[in-house]
Amino acid sequence: MSLLPKYVEQQQVDEVGGSLQLSSIFKASGRTYTLLSDTETNKTILSGVPARLGEEFGLQLKAAEAVAGSPVNLDAGTRVEGYGVFTFPYGPVSFGVPEAGGFKLITYGERIVKVIPCVNFKKRGIERLLVGWRAEDALFVIERSAGNFSASYSTCFATAVENMLQLDVPSQAKWTRAVAIELERIYNHLYAFSRLAEAASQNVATSQVSALKEMVLRLNARYFGHRFLFGLNRIGGVAYSISREQGRELEKSIRTLTREFSEIVDYFLSSRIFLDRLQDTARLVKRDAQKLGAVGPVARGSDVPWDDRLMCPIEPYDDVYVNIETGVGEDTMARTMVRIQEIQSSTVVIRELLDKMPSDGATLSSQSGPKRKRYDSDDFSLCRIESPSGDLIQVVQLDEQSRVSNLHIRPASLVNWLPFAKSLENNVFTDFQFAFESFGLYYADSDR
Amino acid sequence: MLKVWILRGIRKGVLTTVFPKAPPTIAEIPERSVPPTVAETSDWLTGASICPTKAIRSDSKMVDLERCIYCRCCAEAGFTFDQAAESRTKSLQAKLNVKSQLDEFTKRQGTIRRSLHVLMIDVGSCNACNHEVLNLANPYYDLTRLGIFFTNSPKHADALIVVGALNKAMTDVLKRTYESVPDPKFVISVGACAASGGIFQKTESFVSPIQDVIPVDVVIPGCPPSPIQILEGLLLVNNRMSKEVMTR
Repeated sequence: MSLLPKYVEQQQVDEVGGSLQLSSIFKASGRTYTLLSDTETNKTILSGVPARLGEEFGLQLKAAEAVAGSPVNLDAGTRVEGYGVFTFPYGPVSFGVPEAGGFKLITYGERIVKVIPCVNFKKRGIERLLVGWRAEDALFVIERSAGNFSASYSTCFATAVENMLQLDVPSQAKWTRAVAIELERIYNHLYAFSRLAEAASQNVATSQVSALKEMVLRLNARYFGHRFLFGLNRIGGVAYSISREQGRELEKSIRTLTREFSEIVDYFLSSRIFLDRLQDTARLVKRDAQKLGAVGPVARGSDVPWDDRLMCPIEPYDDVYVNIETGVGEDTMARTMVRIQEIQSSTVVIRELLDKMPSDGATLSSQSGPKRKRYDSDDFSLCRIESPSGDLIQVVQLDEQSRVSNLHIRPASLVNWLPFAKSLENNVFTDFQFAFESFGLYYADSDR
Repeated sequence: MLKVWILRGIRKGVLTTVFPKAPPTIAEIPERSVPPTVAETSDWLTGASICPTKAIRSDSKMVDLERCIYCRCCAEAGFTFDQAAESRTKSLQAKLNVKSQLDEFTKRQGTIRRSLHVLMIDVGSCNACNHEVLNLANPYYDLTRLGIFFTNSPKHADALIVVGALNKAMTDVLKRTYESVPDPKFVISVGACAASGGIFQKTESFVSPIQDVIPVDVVIPGCPPSPIQILEGLLLVNNRMSKEVMTR
């Protein structure tokens, strides 16, 4: 097991609970492993299967293992029935949620009693599809499994594969990847914010924020060739590199963007109408967030300070300063504030990355090819990346011809469905949109 | 409060694109939306074996843009990509589906004059195309200035925008949505996935290109297509493309 990243500790765990969260469960070479995160000591633990697992995790597994083409209801907890209880089916075709996926909202009058997310309407079975593919070809599918998280997905996969092949990837490539991930975080958070403004019918503000999002997409296209950063990552490097001069330009544009955004945020935070819709909406208490294993801005909004950039750092993140943002109040407002602050802190990270960018080449030179035969077919490699919606885990195994023989993806959206359902209990119908947009849930991400 | 927003709006100036009155600017067309062009050095056999979506056909010597995901793997086989501003703006290729009857299409076009209400339906996309369609509403593209609006219900729609590789679970949903759109109706397929399955054509959940399930009028290639390309497709349906752009 020499291929595991430094941050992983091996240890047998018997019971999950309290600050110890179950992050992922996967099979490798006939054995089942679990990956756990201790949110108090900030450790990642690799263990066998604990004796007791919660009901929630069984549901996630059911969704993960379901065959393509059969939607799954994530129905946790007790059944709700009775006079006046009405089930409102929502989706899969709707513009409120611009993706193929649905919900069953169980309501009693105006109040939402329970939410059952229906996932897997667009499950493509990527993990099974990619078995037997060359890692270079698999990257095309990986980056298109969730289009708006493409940089996170492909960096995670490429890092895991490079780790397995023990490639000596140049630092510049890794730092360029980090710039792409931070740009991706900025535009996804801007998108979430514009959707929140739209839900509150703040049309002028929606336009202003979505114009900022378009600005970031154009920066992506200008420096990385593609608006959604497809085709940036290669195994062993990146296809585009940022020169000193380009770096200064990019930094300047990002700085302008953040200044405009903080102006807009100031207007927003002085608008009582907008704040009223966010405050006390969809409260997710810390205990539930830990129990249900929430990740990303959702967890941080509920005061669970976990950020993969700090707790499970890959190369550039142990050299740059990343501030961890936690919210106060555990409600939609807290999650929105986390996103707003993360846009600001991502700008700082990008500035530092561009400032200290090493210049040892964007791709691996062909002489130092993979050092083969250093790994057994039993070995596996894993990587954790903080995608805009939270912790993304990928486990990769390669065979002798460096073809993918086993792949496991644990996306952030999959684990955030149940915290979302929990938080909406006892809220009114009209709060639904606010809760949904603040959680940053994407069906493409969870249905991979 | 209102004053602040208005002043801010004035300070920002006009962001909206000049398209369709004039060709789009270079900033509006990303570098990687340029399709591969055949050069003298192009090797069809190598190209066909490299291409991850089988868009390069060595037997008929053509590049099938409905399949192309613009990954640029074929650069190794000698295919070139013209980055000049002129050719980048001309590379947009919203086109009428060959299967659709042109006379009948023109007749249907006569029934909608200026305004067009569209509904987007996702049948298994990666979310990038969804983002690009939604981006049409932002001030840079401003769909509503052209009289095109998004609706939430198929009953209010004139046209369907279909994105994504058709999934088993979504096949019936797509058919039923198509049936509930009142006649006359139009279908626009956006992206390589909708037109051919794209990179997902080998997945266990992929059914078929959407042309095989419902009649499609306009096919927009790209992975994902840029908002300008989608706008062009919508204007093609709406019969509002200026003559100059149409004849490109």
